[in-house]
Amino acid sequence: MLQPNQPTNPSRSEPAARGKLHPLVEWQFDRSWFDELQTRLNRNGPWDNWQLYQLAVEAEQAKQVTSFDELRCLRCLPQLEPMPHQLATASKVLHEMGGRAILADEVGLGKTIEAGLVLKEYIVRGLVKRALILVPASLVLQWVRELNQKFGISAVAQKKEHTWQYDIVVASMDTAKREPHREKLLAQDYDMLIIDEAHKLKNKKTTNYQFVNQMSKKYCLLLTATPVQNDLDELYNLITLLKPGQLGGQSEFAANFVVDKRLPKNEGQLQEALSGVMIRNRRGDGGIHFTKRIVRNIPLVLSPEEKALYDGVTAFVKERVVETIADMASMLSLVTLQREVCSSRDAVFVTLVNLFKKTAEDSPLRAKIWGLVENIRAITSNTKAEKAMELIREIDDKVIIFTEYRATQEYLLNYFRDNGLYAVPYRGGMNRGKKDWMMDLFRGRAQVLIATEAGGEGINLQFCHHMINFDLPWNPMRVEQRIGRVHRLGQQHDVRIYNLCTLGTIEEHIVSLLHEKINLFELVIGELDHILERFEKQELSIEQQIARLVAEAGDSSELQRRMSGLGDSLNRIRAEVQSDTELEEEDALGSLLDAVGQTIPMEASQ
Amino acid sequence: MNERQVHRYVQRFLDATDCTILEKSPAHFKVKLSPAADRALTNRPYYWSFVDRTGAEPETMSMLLVTDRTKFDAAEAAAEAQKQAKQQQQQEPKQNPAEPLSSAAEAALARSFGFVHGDLNTIRMPREEVHFGSRRLDQLFDASQAGGSYVYLFQEPERKHLLPYDSMPYTAWLGVNMKVEFASDRKREELYSFGVSLASGQCVERFHDRLLELKMTPKLPPNVHITKNGLSLSKALSTIEQTLERKLKNQDYSWAAQARERLDEELARIRSYYEPLIAAAIVENQPAITEQYERRQAEIRWQYEPRVTATAINCGIFHLAGID
Repeated sequence: MLQPNQPTNPSRSEPAARGKLHPLVEWQFDRSWFDELQTRLNRNGPWDNWQLYQLAVEAEQAKQVTSFDELRCLRCLPQLEPMPHQLATASKVLHEMGGRAILADEVGLGKTIEAGLVLKEYIVRGLVKRALILVPASLVLQWVRELNQKFGISAVAQKKEHTWQYDIVVASMDTAKREPHREKLLAQDYDMLIIDEAHKLKNKKTTNYQFVNQMSKKYCLLLTATPVQNDLDELYNLITLLKPGQLGGQSEFAANFVVDKRLPKNEGQLQEALSGVMIRNRRGDGGIHFTKRIVRNIPLVLSPEEKALYDGVTAFVKERVVETIADMASMLSLVTLQREVCSSRDAVFVTLVNLFKKTAEDSPLRAKIWGLVENIRAITSNTKAEKAMELIREIDDKVIIFTEYRATQEYLLNYFRDNGLYAVPYRGGMNRGKKDWMMDLFRGRAQVLIATEAGGEGINLQFCHHMINFDLPWNPMRVEQRIGRVHRLGQQHDVRIYNLCTLGTIEEHIVSLLHEKINLFELVIGELDHILERFEKQELSIEQQIARLVAEAGDSSELQRRMSGLGDSLNRIRAEVQSDTELEEEDALGSLLDAVGQTIPMEASQ
Repeated sequence: MNERQVHRYVQRFLDATDCTILEKSPAHFKVKLSPAADRALTNRPYYWSFVDRTGAEPETMSMLLVTDRTKFDAAEAAAEAQKQAKQQQQQEPKQNPAEPLSSAAEAALARSFGFVHGDLNTIRMPREEVHFGSRRLDQLFDASQAGGSYVYLFQEPERKHLLPYDSMPYTAWLGVNMKVEFASDRKREELYSFGVSLASGQCVERFHDRLLELKMTPKLPPNVHITKNGLSLSKALSTIEQTLERKLKNQDYSWAAQARERLDEELARIRSYYEPLIAAAIVENQPAITEQYERRQAEIRWQYEPRVTATAINCGIFHLAGID
């Protein structure tokens, strides 16, 4: 009965009207809605809800993109506070570069944030629906998390064949370029392609380069901190991937801009051409660019029972080292015992029991090991835990405690609970859901987070600025990773680091090496990588070298002498690295890059 | 949209979809979803296909929707502090004997999580932050769109039953809300709302605003008759198209001229790269390079070509009082 009172035309109209609004502008008027309306009229329904109809209009009004050039995505991201240079970069890519650019900021200035802003803006404006993000395998999950959490972009990590169907996929370059994936991706048109660590595309002959060159993409971002390392051709290749012809043909480029592989000419012109496709932000020369790190070593004296255990274990280790002679693996595991005693009796207990089980029943070692276990029984309190407790009470704010050992973690959780302190655990073995839950609890009600893992799956804890190293890893990189969890862009406060250090043990030597000798805690971010890279080029990893020192040193004073030697050689390398970087900065290539972009006057905190 | 607008939007959405609000404040809702809302929001297609096939009684999800995070957290913290103060008072006289169950639960949790403090094990009602740009709100937007695309409505008469045998004349209108996108490598949008009287053919702009002032109902009210349509729907459609086109033609298209300029520049740039490359290449390689050249050209057109598209947000037939 509610049929409209005229016969509807059964023949379908054109799906869309087309025409020209202006000599330059194509115009399209969608008619599919009209066909659907007619169908429903003919079938007498179904009809939708009037309230939802109004809400749908309001939603469109709220989402409407009113102008060509504001950054609309910021309204959608109330939690994100990008730094001014990140906003400026995103804006330039969107409004001046047509969405194709090389983001070449120095490490640590937030290229990911810039790329996320650009991607989000295009998504909000409806200009990007399908995007592909190619990154090294180790960074896939981190990208997925950042895009989801920071930018509310539903990105998916590529795992299975069918994952490619999702709109926004993060995948490793190595997977993507291999069959059968390659063929699939080449058959797609991507609204946006983002490539992290894009310096891996600098060689034209590699499959990486050819694959990306063949892909069909509208907008494209290449992220790299080192757009050119050895040869101007690398830069040429990257740019040609993005905008062929920006620097002319290969031979023109060579004739116009290259004297030698590391020496450009006509710099002014070259810089201008570069600035059309590349943005490079650098740190100012303010020295410290982040908030400060304030390090305090807290010396502790072991209780007589604890000291007895430590001495017992040390003697046991020394004996065994002599017997096994220079088998690196067993040496490491022996020295581990010594490190564990410094952490907690629980940590060493687990290892001793395992060792006991592994030892043959008739071995004289068994009795010795059992003797040590007896020593453990005599210990009733943990000096370090008590001190930590006292510290936490004093700090009266969120604190993250790092320990190397699972058993210590468990012990501390129990100990804190018994003393009425909320603490939550965090460790590598937890799945993502548990980790996120623990993070939520820590952000909310728990005052303390006790973590055994710092690296890998980046936990970001900028809301916390107190950190206790219950024990220290021997690998400086891992110490740096721990600190990096809290001391990163976005941290508003100075970060306070407390190192618990038991006197008269190897721990004392380690703390003095890392803190006093190489001043690990105050190195510029990124510097440690270079130092270790060179140091470990020589022979063993630093961790192994320390273990060997500890195992082989006769007594405490010898150990101290040799540790100090190790510190000196690290310092030498540090000096080398620093002078090299200075050289690099004077280098013609460096100054060429520097001219393409701005220096960020980072606030040096007082 | 600020927090208040979002809050109001959520409230109206929950009302429109018949959800049961369990608890609310100006900063949050605790809500048990209706089956329709659950289907739209919880992303459980397998569950719903199970319910549909077996006819089982559906169990819908509950959610905590936080529309103002700062206020909500502050309120929560205050409530928590109060609760703790109370507990301490209660605990002082005697120990609580209801321990065994919670310690069993704690043990179970401890097995999978290591230790978790007892006070933290409550059943979690998934907490959703709803702010402009959040995924949940986008989902509400999408669900509104999906459930509010095509309507067939009547104006509710203002005076009821004045004369029982009198009949009020109503006119049918074709109404449509449109989004017009002006795009090149950048984009902006305008929204339009048109209504065309199917009796007279007159076209009204800002039609949606006019509807918002009226009360609408899906049922034909009593004592109402619909005026005979003098116009086919297709004619009404072309009226709308022509009106919109006329309006759009008078716009400023300097943005398009600039986009075209960028497009031409880009095309010239890659021409300067590929043409010499193709000329210099050996014959076998030429097709591959030509193909690559063509792809780059297509990409650039895709990226920069200025275009205007109009799509409908939603539409319907509206029967309004009067003969217009």
